Amino acid sequence: MSNRKRKSTAAKQRAKLRQQRRAAAAAQAGQEPGGAQASQATARPQPVRRPGDRPRKVSKRRRSSRTPWLLIGGVVAVVAVIVVMFLTRTDDTSRGDADPGSIDKLTSVPAETLEAVGVPAEPSNVNPLPPDTAPVEEGGKPVVLYVGAEYCPFCAVERWPMVVALSRFGTFTGLESTTSAPPPETLPNTPTVTFKDSTYASDHIVFSAVETGDRLGNPLDDPTDFQQRLFATYNVESVTGSSGGIPFVMIGNRYAWAGSQYDPVVLEDKDFDQIANALTNPDSEVSKEIGGAANYITAMICQLTDGQPEDVCSSDVIQQAQAALPTP
Amino acid sequence: MRVARWVAPVTTALSLAAVGVSTYLTIAHYTDPTGELQFCSGTGNVDCGAVTTSAQSAFLGIPVALLGLLWSVGMLALCLPIAWRAASRWVHLARVVGAVGGIGFVLWLLYAELILIGAICVWCTVTHVIAFALFVVVVLTTPPLLTEE
Repeated sequence: MSNRKRKSTAAKQRAKLRQQRRAAAAAQAGQEPGGAQASQATARPQPVRRPGDRPRKVSKRRRSSRTPWLLIGGVVAVVAVIVVMFLTRTDDTSRGDADPGSIDKLTSVPAETLEAVGVPAEPSNVNPLPPDTAPVEEGGKPVVLYVGAEYCPFCAVERWPMVVALSRFGTFTGLESTTSAPPPETLPNTPTVTFKDSTYASDHIVFSAVETGDRLGNPLDDPTDFQQRLFATYNVESVTGSSGGIPFVMIGNRYAWAGSQYDPVVLEDKDFDQIANALTNPDSEVSKEIGGAANYITAMICQLTDGQPEDVCSSDVIQQAQAALPTP
Repeated sequence: MRVARWVAPVTTALSLAAVGVSTYLTIAHYTDPTGELQFCSGTGNVDCGAVTTSAQSAFLGIPVALLGLLWSVGMLALCLPIAWRAASRWVHLARVVGAVGGIGFVLWLLYAELILIGAICVWCTVTHVIAFALFVVVVLTTPPLLTEE
């Protein structure tokens, strides 16, 4: 038998079988209760269901053909959500989140509180500059230099005592709260202020500050030639024990250090407002660490200003701090 | 039922690419503790070092790079032409499970990179894109093979 003949015989057999099945199904429907509906069903062709047939096979197939697209769509949607979260997060620099009153608390820690806090037995991480170091001045006033970055956690830590101390010699405007870099940076999101866009006015000193990067590591301001020269000359292994690390602080031609002066653990799990509030309590750990470091910075600046202003520099705790400062 | 002719070579090529990239990441993980990688600048939001040395660079103590290598080798085995022709539906099921599991892990890693770490690793992203492409091809082409007796 030829292939064509074989195929047509098989087709005829299949058609006959289908006919027999339809007849059997129709007979079965007629025997069931509600024969009227059954006869209506014969008028409009319905899929024939036989014992053993899988129910609703067509819709299941349709559903299964949709599933891969639903899975792919789900994955694309999740990716989109993550990307949106990331973009939103990028815009959030945490700047200015603190209560405005908290900045005021930081810049006006009462002298009595700082007196009560006292100073640690000796200053931490402070290096005297050689006696022959040339005066570091601008406009005839001694300079306090700060080189740091918003992402840098130890800069965040060090700005607290710096602002407390500098506020005793002059006035800050435009200070804003922020946090250091998010994870995986060390001490992530440490609350602090930024010197970016702030100004400082004092009759006694010049505060020269530069933040070189934002909290996400993007470049901010370039150091001036003056700042760059001091940074390159004095932030070296032989002076600070560091080779260009930040924060770098220089108190005129007297002292310099790279890093922070107290244990940052004290700031852990606290927000800006909590730290600022704790500064007003001389018994708090925060106040002891930040206030103690601030008293040492105050004592160093007093050496530059020849003890001015007198009410600040002649206080017992500042005298005690000056006596404990290292000499070259 | 058979899948379209292009499916086996395309998925094999994608798996091979994934094996290549994850081999590089695994070698870099074990040889360079800084996590610095070629063609990954290390500044701004593109920072392979930040990603490959982060807390999220290991899962249950196993380096993610190694997990990626094991996954891609497994997918390569399941995407070879002989595996696509396999009569056993378990082979095809394993391929779908591998593809879905892979993309699930990729979503977690993407979340870790962008939200927890805040940096993207270029090489990791290449494997993520390959995993997504494999996932799309596998879930679109394998299901009919699962219903075969």
